[in-house]
Amino acid sequence: MKRRKFLVSIAMTAAFAGLSVCGAKAQQSSKPVTDVIAITGLPGVKDNAKGALTVENGKLHFSYGKKSSEVNAASIEDVVTGEDTQAAVGKTVSNLSMVAPYGSGRFLALFRTKFDTLTLQYRDENGALHGVIFALPTAGAEPIKKELLAQGAHTTVVEERAAATNSSSKEPKQ
Amino acid sequence: MKFYSSAILWSAVVAVAFAASPLSAQPVKAKASAIQVEMIHSDEIKLPAEFQISLYENLIRQLEKQGGFEHVYRDGDRRAKDAADLVVLHGTVRGFKAGSERTRRVTTVAGATSVTIHCEFKNADGKVLLEQDVNGKVRFFGGNLRATYDFAKKTARVAHDNFSSSEHKS
Repeated sequence: MKRRKFLVSIAMTAAFAGLSVCGAKAQQSSKPVTDVIAITGLPGVKDNAKGALTVENGKLHFSYGKKSSEVNAASIEDVVTGEDTQAAVGKTVSNLSMVAPYGSGRFLALFRTKFDTLTLQYRDENGALHGVIFALPTAGAEPIKKELLAQGAHTTVVEERAAATNSSSKEPKQ
Repeated sequence: MKFYSSAILWSAVVAVAFAASPLSAQPVKAKASAIQVEMIHSDEIKLPAEFQISLYENLIRQLEKQGGFEHVYRDGDRRAKDAADLVVLHGTVRGFKAGSERTRRVTTVAGATSVTIHCEFKNADGKVLLEQDVNGKVRFFGGNLRATYDFAKKTARVAHDNFSSSEHKS
């Protein structure tokens, strides 16, 4: 009888511990990435708005100024990262430099800084497809992508890689 | 006398022909009160994800601005099923040149970014009403994604010129 009670108490402790771990995972949140630019596509957000990006409670949050916008991670059908470059100097300085004598201003155009891109495709409550593009500081996109995937988002890039691996592993057999 | 009468007759015929030609050249706009934009497909030509999204989002924005439709629906929107006179826009990438903003800035003659999309406007039954290749370019100023804005503006113009929410001659 005592042994049974002991086993029941162990089982209950284990179940409680499991539930608490699950709860902690569900409320998982990523480190906020600042200096993010919402290039286009985020509903209610002006193009090229600058803010911070976080993933928490199964949602992608973009906060800028006093406003914020969010996308449910589970509704994201595709999340892809990439990289690009932009002019190191501001747009105004860059345009003004174009009129510098003997084309000397073009020298400034050689200096460019790298940034990451994060591209999402998601469906709203009506099934309508939306696309969003973010520009993030270098090495900022991959952690956000991983967090989104962990919280229910999907990606086609992994599937493509897996398909490529499968096809290459089948080829030698033929 | 006979010569004069035939000359007058011929000149009248020519005048009528010239007067009538501008009218016949104007296209009849097909009736379409709503349009559904499908995601741009790029099966043969690999297009960067940000280009694909930018093409789609800019296209929707420009069609809402200047397309002349009462409703612009996105890919997969269930509300489009109930729309009367729906046109579905299906785009496939036919050509893409990535270009380089740096090269454009430095040389001003090279580094142009260009994208060509084959656009098909279909009715609800899948019958093609209009198909046309539309090109988007950025030659001098602006980032590579500006080519998608150029494409969207041109496509919205094509839609505006060929479809109308009320059937009439332009």
